[in-house]
Amino acid sequence: MAAINLTKMDKEIIQKIIDHGGKGITKCIQCNACASVCPVAKAGFPLYGRLLFRKIQTGHFEEIIEDSSSWACQACNRCTEICPRDAKPFEIVFAFRRIQANELAISTSAFTPLMNLHATGHAVYSEASKELRQKVGLPAVPVTSIANEKAQEEIRTLLDNSPMGELGIF
Amino acid sequence: MEKCGIYLGCNIPFRAPDIEHSFYKVFPALGMEIVDMEGATCCPAWGTAPSFDIDTWLAVSGRNITIAEDKNVDIMTGCNSCFGVMSEAKHLIDHDPARKKTVDKNLALIDRKYKGDSEIYHVSHVLYKNIGIEKIRENVKYTLKQLKIAVQPGCHILWPSEVMAVKEKNSFFPTILKELCEVLGAEVPHYSKLNACCGMGAMRSTDQVRSIGLVKEKLVNMKEEIAPDMIVTTCSSCYLQFDGAQKILKEKGEIDFEIPVFYYTQLLALCMGFDPKNVAAISETPRDAIIQKIQSEARLLN
Amino acid sequence: MAKVGVYVCHCGSNIGGVVDVEAVCKHAETLPDVVVSRQNLFMCSDPGQEIIRQDIIGGVVDKVVVAACTPRTHEPIFRKVLEGEGLNKYLFEMANIRDQDSWVHANDKEGATAKAKQIVASAVAKARNLLPLEDKYVDVTKAALVIGGGVAGIFSALDLANMGNKVYLIEKEPSIGGVMAQLDKTFPTNDCSACILTPVMVDAGTHPNIELLTYSEIDAVEGYIGNFDVKIRRKQAYVDWEKCTGCGACADACPVRTPNEFNAGLDNRGAAFIHFPQAVPKKAVIDMPNCINCGGRTIGSEQKISKKTGKPILAPCERACPAGAIDRSKVADPNGEIIDVKVGAIIVATGYKVMDKDKFKNLAPDSPNVLTALQLERLISATGPTGGQFLRPSDMKKPHTVSFLSCIGSRDERHHTYCSRVCCMYMIKQAKLLKEKYPDLEIYMHFMDVRTPGKDFDEYYTGAIDMGINIIRGRVGGIDMLPGDKLRVMGFDADLASNIEIDADLVVMATAIELQDDIKPFAQKLSLTLDGSGFFKELHPKLKPVETPVEGIFLAGCCQGPKDIPDTVAQAKGAAAAAAVPLAQGRVKVNPTISEIDREKCSGCGICEPLCPYGAISMIATDAAHPRARIEMTQCKGCGVCTTACPSTAIMLHGYTENQIMAQIFALTA
Repeated sequence: MAAINLTKMDKEIIQKIIDHGGKGITKCIQCNACASVCPVAKAGFPLYGRLLFRKIQTGHFEEIIEDSSSWACQACNRCTEICPRDAKPFEIVFAFRRIQANELAISTSAFTPLMNLHATGHAVYSEASKELRQKVGLPAVPVTSIANEKAQEEIRTLLDNSPMGELGIF
Repeated sequence: MEKCGIYLGCNIPFRAPDIEHSFYKVFPALGMEIVDMEGATCCPAWGTAPSFDIDTWLAVSGRNITIAEDKNVDIMTGCNSCFGVMSEAKHLIDHDPARKKTVDKNLALIDRKYKGDSEIYHVSHVLYKNIGIEKIRENVKYTLKQLKIAVQPGCHILWPSEVMAVKEKNSFFPTILKELCEVLGAEVPHYSKLNACCGMGAMRSTDQVRSIGLVKEKLVNMKEEIAPDMIVTTCSSCYLQFDGAQKILKEKGEIDFEIPVFYYTQLLALCMGFDPKNVAAISETPRDAIIQKIQSEARLLN
Repeated sequence: MAKVGVYVCHCGSNIGGVVDVEAVCKHAETLPDVVVSRQNLFMCSDPGQEIIRQDIIGGVVDKVVVAACTPRTHEPIFRKVLEGEGLNKYLFEMANIRDQDSWVHANDKEGATAKAKQIVASAVAKARNLLPLEDKYVDVTKAALVIGGGVAGIFSALDLANMGNKVYLIEKEPSIGGVMAQLDKTFPTNDCSACILTPVMVDAGTHPNIELLTYSEIDAVEGYIGNFDVKIRRKQAYVDWEKCTGCGACADACPVRTPNEFNAGLDNRGAAFIHFPQAVPKKAVIDMPNCINCGGRTIGSEQKISKKTGKPILAPCERACPAGAIDRSKVADPNGEIIDVKVGAIIVATGYKVMDKDKFKNLAPDSPNVLTALQLERLISATGPTGGQFLRPSDMKKPHTVSFLSCIGSRDERHHTYCSRVCCMYMIKQAKLLKEKYPDLEIYMHFMDVRTPGKDFDEYYTGAIDMGINIIRGRVGGIDMLPGDKLRVMGFDADLASNIEIDADLVVMATAIELQDDIKPFAQKLSLTLDGSGFFKELHPKLKPVETPVEGIFLAGCCQGPKDIPDTVAQAKGAAAAAAVPLAQGRVKVNPTISEIDREKCSGCGICEPLCPYGAISMIATDAAHPRARIEMTQCKGCGVCTTACPSTAIMLHGYTENQIMAQIFALTA
């Protein structure tokens, strides 16, 4: 691999991460504590927390924007609980996710739950659930938004009027 | 607290409604009235709004919280992810005035107002803190004596502890679920990967092979260290992962055992004598045998 | 009319790089009474001082304003210039245009220049109104108090005593020795801690000029440099130390088992105990909160006679003592006794503690096989609970794999942000000692980075690598508890760029150095302040490293910040030298910028008396009906609280008089 010329990197991504909720990015000292207990790192994803943070700190953007590792983050927040710099690593990973999402640099499968959310108020829904519910002696639909036109309108109003409404997913 | 708003989320009502039914059985029987949260939506799940825009996440979570506020009740969630998403959202709204302002503006679009006076609890918190171990003991009909349980509290109920209304004494070595299982008479030994991630959630949808790899590690660890009769969790995501992944792993020949999986209130309902057809009827990993064993004559107390 | 000279300093680029010095100089010339205004790259340098000197000699100026850095460090330098040329040194005023201007407004040159002009104008306004003041002197008590009997306190006490001063060395534990007495060996020479420390302890214990007061604490400190009145509380030992020979029979007889602090809780001691075998003084104490009063022998209870034997019923400790030093019939004040001493200087050498492992919840603190590094010191020490055998606590078997974790509670925003400075080195020492003795032992050391700045330190560290000790760059995030009391250390190897796991038999954590929990009330007794990290604050981090804001009180050792033994001893000797100065001079100067009462104006209302933070004000009856306030000049620190509170404006603070302050305000608001 060719050497990375650090002086030629574009550090704009650091501010972007901060703007998307990852304030801690400048605090990270690469101690590796987060990675030592991170499910994403342990499961073998290439761009786990602390490496992602280093890439961001050194101004990588094009090279990492398509990587799907951040979408494996479980939001377990074990990193947040132990980070000695209180950098809140989870927030940085999610800030990166938000940048990816807003650049639409994500797998289309990520859109299905969103479309479900917009249509029914639930990210996970299947018609088959009606039969399951009746099998265990419950009404075919619960009292949630699934059976509630007003609730569905409310959630659509919130989503349509948000920055997400401009992404053309719904 | 004598009543509590029940927040169902998505997985429980649509994929594991027997868990939902177990709530309706056990809580009233233990003296806790549960109040429906009509029109509640997805929390919203980590992979949806929280992955796109913080304010949209807070608006959707905030809306769900207002449903409970309007009924003057606290919220009880059955799903760890919902608990994590909404606890974190509430923390952000309550501690960041700028975010709160945006939430107010967004909720005004749908004529709602976030007040901030409903707390967010998890099913296990209500059982442990509000109902209490003793009350559970008094209502159990069948004992789990000589049965061994591997507990799976799940991540989103543990961290970040800063945002949670109820905290474990040590979130890395949690004991609430252990105590809830022990009161049923079961043995709940420690196993070393107790606090390891099950691999469900975003990882499962991103990369099934790696996700199943994590749960396999955990299953093998349980089996080797404590050989449990069942796995008990208070997280519906963990529940689905442990239940579903075992089938896949077995078919691939990667494991040669099966351990029945219960959501805690399913097991509690069985111990309280409720009909498994209502409270524990849907699973990939077979559990009929253990259910029969639990509700056997020999285990009846008094 | 005053002749004010204004001298503006560039302070290299510190001021000159931001403030337009030329413009400030020009502006100064326009101010009333200013006769000259000059500038220099470094006004405090010899040529800089010479400029001022010449103006004084030539009679050009009779009041001096220097616009430069902080008076905290530089006021004495310029005052000396005035004094040298026969001008009263209090006719000097400093305008701080660096700390309060150029440093804080580095990005706003115009604004900084405007502010500098204002600051200078204010200083000139005050200077015009300055009056000469006279220094006063008081005699010094030729004795010193050293608080804390660790290696720092011992060395400070010995140096002061060897100079011929009377020294009171007080220690809260029954013996001197401190943490160093608990250590096995010391880096980087691996010499035995006890072997080098115990002879010095004996020297301190037997020195004719040192009065050792162990099992004692500070109750109150009053007074000022040269004349401190100290109340020392000698805790109740419930053992007559005049008679006690330190044989330890009472400790052997005592049935109580309570965690032994000296062995860091790894084993137990009795309620009657001797601090440690090499204790100085070697005397027993009874730790009353843990005493169970065997045979109903509460302290001061009447002796009963056994009906069976006809002999008196005694507690085991009493019965065992061959010297008759324990008599539980005797009434003993649980508060101990108060000893009053008068000293001219005080050295604070109160040491430190290491954090408990309980705070680190992710690192399996409940496992008996997770130890703090201090516990490991005791475990491998010949005087420790296993007699120096390396056995893990859970099953007393020899470990095969050991993990060392650095920066536990240090460099961590949830605990302490500072580096504890000695952990890297002492862990390497521990690892090397173990590896030397047990070559088969597998040792893994997890560091964020290895810090070895010190003479022979890095060679010591690379030596560890040569021995086959594994150094891993990456902080450990969690420990799982495995069956068989093993521990799964979850780490990360930054160089492998991979998660790693170590199945360890024993985990050693370098928990942070911090001050004791009760240090704040202690600091208040001495009017000392703590810094942001919670250590005692020195007067200046570079130039006054052993001095404190309280004149006559000095710092030595880890109470001022984490440091190793050589640095501690060096600082202890430095503190002793500094404390010896007033003792040798025999008299100390009293700052004349203090408050004075105008008896004519004082109404005797008494408002000022309780407000004084230094207890310098008392109400004196001039005649039966009319009390008047009086200020003890040696106790007054010139803080001005009384001056501002006096409803009759009867109190004047010299050097900060009303017309001086008002002139400054007018200048600033003009």
